[in-house]
Amino acid sequence: MGKKEKVHVQICVGTACFVQGGADLLLYNEFLDPAVLGGCEIEGVSCIGGCKEAQSKDRPPYVRIGEKVYGNVNQEMLCKLLAEATRA
Amino acid sequence: MLELNNQYTLMKRQVHAEVLKEFFAGTLKENVDKLPIRIIPKQRVPNRCCIYKERAMVRYRIMALLGINIESDDDELKSLAEYVEEVMETDKSAAPILTTISTACSSCPPDRYLISDACRGCFARPCLANCPKDCITFSGGQAHIDESRCIRCGKCKEVCPFHAVVHIPVPCEEACPVNAVKKNEEGYVEIDYKKCISCGRCAMSCPFGAIVERSSLMPVVKMLGKEEHVTALIAPAIEGQFPGTLSQIKAALLAAGFSSVLEVSEGAETTSLHEAEELAERKARGEGYMTTSCCPAYMELVDKHLPFLGERRSSALSPMGYAALKAKELNPATKNVFIGPCLAKKVEALRLKTVDAVITFSELASLFIAKGIDVRELEGSDLGDTSSFEDCRQFALSGGVASCVLSRFAPSHEVQVLPVNGVDKKMFRTMKIWEKRPAEADLVEVMCCEGGCINGPGVVVKPSVAMKLRGGNKAAAPVKAMRSVIQ
Repeated sequence: MGKKEKVHVQICVGTACFVQGGADLLLYNEFLDPAVLGGCEIEGVSCIGGCKEAQSKDRPPYVRIGEKVYGNVNQEMLCKLLAEATRA
Repeated sequence: MLELNNQYTLMKRQVHAEVLKEFFAGTLKENVDKLPIRIIPKQRVPNRCCIYKERAMVRYRIMALLGINIESDDDELKSLAEYVEEVMETDKSAAPILTTISTACSSCPPDRYLISDACRGCFARPCLANCPKDCITFSGGQAHIDESRCIRCGKCKEVCPFHAVVHIPVPCEEACPVNAVKKNEEGYVEIDYKKCISCGRCAMSCPFGAIVERSSLMPVVKMLGKEEHVTALIAPAIEGQFPGTLSQIKAALLAAGFSSVLEVSEGAETTSLHEAEELAERKARGEGYMTTSCCPAYMELVDKHLPFLGERRSSALSPMGYAALKAKELNPATKNVFIGPCLAKKVEALRLKTVDAVITFSELASLFIAKGIDVRELEGSDLGDTSSFEDCRQFALSGGVASCVLSRFAPSHEVQVLPVNGVDKKMFRTMKIWEKRPAEADLVEVMCCEGGCINGPGVVVKPSVAMKLRGGNKAAAPVKAMRSVIQ
């Protein structure tokens, strides 16, 4: 089996995201399935601009998984999103 | 107490950020009455009965942010704009720190024990055998509690083999260590301010957000807008509350308009020295235990409920007290703003008179958001020589104060430390006993919040996150470190 490329995950820790729940996502080592964790490359990054897109229905915290930006991300949702992303 | 990460906290932070954004845009008075509608749009699926009640609650949260005492000054005919105008002219007194929103209160029924459907009506029936008031009856194959006789001892819950007995508390009443939170005749929450120690536990516990703190943010942003010298006194717990290092946090504060930043850990050094000296003297005189004096909720607790501890607590000022003096020494004209995780500090500030306002980390975060300050993006600002008080940043953690005092204590003595890690109802009862049977220790370190100040009512992140981000002025490092672990 060829080595799969890791999913690149950026957790926004701009002040707004950090304050609205993004900080909790930084505990990913504790709440993510180790198998999923192994398939991802996760980092905390400065504002990824999710909040600045006008008319956006989403709210902080934002997370970028690969190319796509997701809003309203909580621990549970991140587990689900990453499980899907690593399976794909 | 409520888990910090919940819908109410997020709503409160959103309200704070939106109000401040309007303030800095100079359009607060004009737009403030539109904010409840903007924050709760009609498409929203409400958590309360309807969006209209949610909007009314946003209105009250804005009033609390403006520093209005909702209990006494709520006038439904008055627009928020009128309140803003008032607040712009004169600062409201910070006391009392808490205020209640009676229409938010769900008027929870008195706490009780209830036998759920999990009851199998077993043969052994330990609930029946162990109830001291004979209030368990059996019908329909299940046990029932006779409410009129139940004394809420919880024995039945303890002994049920099916865990079928549930305790349904009143969260605010359960959280208050000193029974200052009560229900009035209509069943709505009321605080007895003669008893209240301003620890903030009730506000952290109410799942309906009916108990709120009156903010001092408006006086502070007004100060920042004037040509005044304003010193930010940052509590030791601030490290780990924002996504960046301590020096980046300092840079962010300067960017937000503070003229200078002083670490309260510097004052903590003086407190430790003073307490170490005092401890040595007391030990030499064989006076028994001494308590610390840095937790303002504890100070209130002693003054209002445990007067016999008055002579036991150290005469040292709190770290905030010494830091405020230092700031005034550096610039006699400065205004001091304490930024911490604590609500009771506001009471202390009123007493000290050297601190002009107190805001929380959470309120500071909304200030950063409204000003578009990204802590992580900033280049760190020099903290100066911190070597003598670096260890005092541990004042924010349970056990940290005692360890700082001990490290400044002549080593020849044997000092026994008793940390009081959080004052709840049970701990309060234990402390009452000390009047007759003194605590068996030399130094009693009291912190009213479990885990220390990093678990205070005004924090941004929960302690587990803060602990990850704290340490060595390199708070951003753990993110990278974790990454290398994964790879």
